[in-house]
Amino acid sequence: MIQLSTPAALLQVALPSAAQPAVIAVGVLYFSVVVAISVWAARRTRTASDFFVAGKGIGLVALTVASVSVSVSGFAFIGGPGFIYAVGLGAMYIVLPAAVTNVMGAWVLAKRMRLLGEARNLITIPDAIGARYRSPAAQGLAAVAMLVGIVGYMATNALAMGVVIDSIFGVGLGWGIWIGMGVTLAYSASGGILAGIYNDVFQGMLMAAASVLVFLFVLGYGGGLGEISRTILAHDPTFLGPWGKLTPLAALSFFFVFSMGSLGQPQAVHKYYMLRDPLQLKWYPLLKTLGLVLVLLLYFSVGVGVKAFVLDGRLPPLASPDQATPSLLLNVTPIILAALVFSGVAAATMSAANSFINIGAAIVTHDLPIAFGRRVKNELGWGRAITVLIATAAAITAQRSGTMVAFLGIFGWGLFASTLVPALAVGLNWQGATRAGAIASIATGLVVTLALETAAYRKVFTFPAGVTASAVAMVASFLVFFLVSWLTRRAAPLELDADVQLVMEL
Amino acid sequence: MPEVNPSGTTTRGDTTRTAALLVLCLAILAIAIGYAAAFRQNGAPVWAPWLLALGIPISLGAIMTLGAARGRSGIGPLKLPFLFVVAVLAIGFCAALALPATESPLSKLWLGLPARAAVVIYGIGLLPIVVLPVVYALTFETQTLSAEDVERVRAMGRENRERTSLGSDVSDRELSE
Repeated sequence: MIQLSTPAALLQVALPSAAQPAVIAVGVLYFSVVVAISVWAARRTRTASDFFVAGKGIGLVALTVASVSVSVSGFAFIGGPGFIYAVGLGAMYIVLPAAVTNVMGAWVLAKRMRLLGEARNLITIPDAIGARYRSPAAQGLAAVAMLVGIVGYMATNALAMGVVIDSIFGVGLGWGIWIGMGVTLAYSASGGILAGIYNDVFQGMLMAAASVLVFLFVLGYGGGLGEISRTILAHDPTFLGPWGKLTPLAALSFFFVFSMGSLGQPQAVHKYYMLRDPLQLKWYPLLKTLGLVLVLLLYFSVGVGVKAFVLDGRLPPLASPDQATPSLLLNVTPIILAALVFSGVAAATMSAANSFINIGAAIVTHDLPIAFGRRVKNELGWGRAITVLIATAAAITAQRSGTMVAFLGIFGWGLFASTLVPALAVGLNWQGATRAGAIASIATGLVVTLALETAAYRKVFTFPAGVTASAVAMVASFLVFFLVSWLTRRAAPLELDADVQLVMEL
Repeated sequence: MPEVNPSGTTTRGDTTRTAALLVLCLAILAIAIGYAAAFRQNGAPVWAPWLLALGIPISLGAIMTLGAARGRSGIGPLKLPFLFVVAVLAIGFCAALALPATESPLSKLWLGLPARAAVVIYGIGLLPIVVLPVVYALTFETQTLSAEDVERVRAMGRENRERTSLGSDVSDRELSE
């Protein structure tokens, strides 16, 4: 069975060079727009609240497009289509949950987090956990768990940026990493999340345009989805079976981790604080779901289309599945479309990196000091300094060998899911949840994920087909949360402040 | 007569939440058993994926219910949409497991895909989109958040801030004395 634990395992192999004048020109144009937006945003960032949650003043459309942008990494453009090419429709179980996750997040988390922000001026996810359980310890532990996940995600995204920039400009992987992180760092440190949000808006629109155009091109080139399916069915019918070449357990496992786990992804959940007016949440799930569908059209169409084109001889066989998108773009599509998609991939990795840098900086300057009973006086200044440190550390880590970086990235999604979903998503909706239950659950998620992923990485242990460390850790974290909360249920009413209780009951 | 909470809501919503929590717990347990069974020496038994095929939709439905339940009405008009989506997911997964593999060049295509693939892509992947976000928007004011709710929270926030600044004033005075 093909193993691919999370979308973080992206772009670990070199892309073919796309350094042609049109691609370079679009790439330069893309970076120029990013710089212009950053300069504009930097002039408007004056407080820590501006820096970390954009002063809670982002409008609905901007927030939605930005949220779509950070929800898909470069995996949706490169690794994902390659994964479909390799295993068939089973790879769709990673993205199918998008049909329910946005509205589920809105019902379970968005309203309560936005209202908690209103009542308490909260700016981070661990803030919400600390307020819910009246516990700096729970807040600190959640912050540590998130920081561990962010280290992995950042290193993986830095490497992905290097691969894409090297492919566009032909500057070499090392320089690609430093250029990508340098630009991201420049706008993260100067304009904070405000620069991030408006760059995300630009990047999200670029990704959606690239995705829709490629989708239409593939359908046209292949003679429609029916013709593409007929070609595949003639050579490899299993590819279009409901599980593709995965086992049913593996495909369902993807669906579970990427649906329930979405409630713990900080880059999306953190955005709930930023909406200017809580009542605008009304249209947020609908707009975000439609946006995600547009961005994910490329994922499906390229994976399935390239399979058919290789089978009928219109494309040469691929050296590796990750070459599916580059092979289509560089051999078949108009070069301007290829340029747009390559810039879209750079956009996807940069928007994800910016979001994680910002969240990481907030954890170091805000949550960890609170956990130790202290407050940083100049959160804005320290936020900028920590942003530089995190980005530099990620770029240095990304220079290491690909397998090490891939390992760091693999547990990111699972770690966020297993440590945050029970304590945050269930905890904000169940007054019987206790501080002890939350701390035990976060600790379980952290320890089980790290232990299982490390054991698997060092080949001490092999999971049965269809079972992943992320899934086991999330299930364990849920069960521990329920059990410990039940055992300590008498403490529950004492751990709930009146304003938090009101927010939970509305 | 339902008991009234400090926030002015009644405990009917709590009954819905308790039921949702119990169902969520059982569904996660079913998923855990499905995973545990895969560790058997002979490999995953035939029934293991069925536990996930049922456990996943039920757990998602339960956590949505937990999040959407409020006050007197529980989840009120959301019952049917939630049931519909849980059923679509469960039927989709179970159909994919149960239907025989008949994909071939002669297969009848449904919107360009063979039957089982169409169930997965269009049923599981697209049908919930047509229902859930639209229902969320249509029931937003009555079921999720009204301007009055926001004002209540803002008022409590103002009280919090006043209390905090009053507290720090008092402690400053005590320190200077």
